[in-house]
Amino acid sequence: MDSVFDELYQKYHHDVFQFLFYMVRNKEQAEDLVQEVYIRVFKSYRRFEGKSSEKTWLFSIARNVAIDFFRKQKGWKGRLLEKFDWSTDQLKDGYPIPEEIAVQREEIRWVYNCLEYCTLDQRAVIILRYIQDLSISETAQALGWTESKVKTTQHRSLKVLKKHMELSYEKEGLTSEKVRVER
Amino acid sequence: MKKSEWSDKQLEELLRQMPKIQDDRNPRDIYENLPVRNKKPKQWLVPGLATVAALLIFFILIPKLMVGPQYSEDHAGQEKSSVERDIQKADENSTIALKKEDASPKARTFSGADKTQTSKTAIYDEEVGDGKVLTFWIPDPQIQILVPVSTIINDSNEKTWLELFNENMVNLKEQEWGLSEFYPLSASLKLDEKNNAILVDVPSNHQYGQGSATETNFINVLKKDISSNSDIKKIRFSTNGEPGIELGNYGHQDEVRIKQQKNHAYFFYYSEGNDIPFLVPSIENYEDIKTAVEEMKKDQPTLGLKSSLLPALPINEVSIKEKTLIVSMEDNTSLQDDQSTINAYESLLLTAKEFGLEKVFITNPPIKNLGPFDLSKKNKVPLAPNQRTLQ
Repeated sequence: MDSVFDELYQKYHHDVFQFLFYMVRNKEQAEDLVQEVYIRVFKSYRRFEGKSSEKTWLFSIARNVAIDFFRKQKGWKGRLLEKFDWSTDQLKDGYPIPEEIAVQREEIRWVYNCLEYCTLDQRAVIILRYIQDLSISETAQALGWTESKVKTTQHRSLKVLKKHMELSYEKEGLTSEKVRVER
Repeated sequence: MKKSEWSDKQLEELLRQMPKIQDDRNPRDIYENLPVRNKKPKQWLVPGLATVAALLIFFILIPKLMVGPQYSEDHAGQEKSSVERDIQKADENSTIALKKEDASPKARTFSGADKTQTSKTAIYDEEVGDGKVLTFWIPDPQIQILVPVSTIINDSNEKTWLELFNENMVNLKEQEWGLSEFYPLSASLKLDEKNNAILVDVPSNHQYGQGSATETNFINVLKKDISSNSDIKKIRFSTNGEPGIELGNYGHQDEVRIKQQKNHAYFFYYSEGNDIPFLVPSIENYEDIKTAVEEMKKDQPTLGLKSSLLPALPINEVSIKEKTLIVSMEDNTSLQDDQSTINAYESLLLTAKEFGLEKVFITNPPIKNLGPFDLSKKNKVPLAPNQRTLQ
């Protein structure tokens, strides 16, 4: 086995896989995409200049792979139709919830479901910042953004999540008691 | 701890608790499934090859499409030239033959051998005696022309020509003569006296229907064989006893009429490995003997036939008088008493026979004796061309 692959696999495979999984919210797709990430990495490994850390570099590749995946999935026809079709704001993916999520607490499941309503950028920030535990500057490097853009995107995505969490809460309607919590 | 609203901190906390998802696959599998080096080259390779192939076809086709008819003419020209090359080759062979012939008469005069037996190629009245003359028509190796080969059969039992024909066709030495292997025919020929026809019976697996050249050839050979050996005017076919024959292009044939074919001109055909040419009638018929003689001064390169008159026998003019061909030679010409002149003279005799003439007379012969012929007298036309001995 290639030593470069071995090293990359040991260090980053699971992080990259996890990132892709939460981006596309489907295990099989994530497996395919991680494959694509390796292909791109090998092609441009020699061009890697070490300006950023290997980890952020890998995440930026993974993000591009995910964006390409969504683009391809829609195709030009889908994108064209979407332009004229305002009835559905977001394309819903009908993927089943994977087992790892299904066994979790209710709130976790809600968060997972609500991730769907975030844009790709928002989702990427959320995953990198909270699930992967990257700092603001690391996230900015991985996404090629400024730190302030990371901050605003992060803020907006939390807001989207919050809104949809409340909606799911209402839908479930388990308790009538509303508790307001100060921000 | 269910709440209708969440603080950022709580949300962040929840997000941090999201489960770690593992890729359960073996890293080896992942590595082996990476088409790193194969995938990319293929993506341009196939369309690239297709483009190259398409361009090639394009460039090959373009000249043909642009100048279609011209091209085919060129092609025909090439074919012509290749035939000419063949003829040149044959020419070379013949010059060698002539050299040999040059030497042989001297040898013969020394030994006192009779010239007549070796120099003439056709069969004449006085040679036949009690024998019978049979003529077989054999295709050349290119199957373009039919070469008549004649033989004298000394037959003591009163057999018909057809019996002799059937008996002797096995003895033909086509390969030795540089012709194509055609005999014995895989067909039986019988006389149908009632209809005054020849009944040709082929086996059910006969090969004569394969391709238009083969079947045309087969029918032409039969016509020529029958018309030059008898007066019968009809061929009836049967296949394994059943009437009719199945031929690809002719379709189902029951019978074929034989038209008396006359008015051909004789040319030289040099077969491979033979010094002396066969005298072969043209495929074309000519209106009169004057045109025929004019044609005989030229080659027929498409059929691989050489002029039979030039350069050996330069004829000026011909005319007909009481079934005799009167020939005047070009002024100031000399004739060589050699084989090629004899061949040329015999081709003139045979052509005269084609036009129903009986004798040939040269008004101004430069030499008196040409091989066995006395040119100062009228000479009779031969019975059959190209004598060969069988067995």
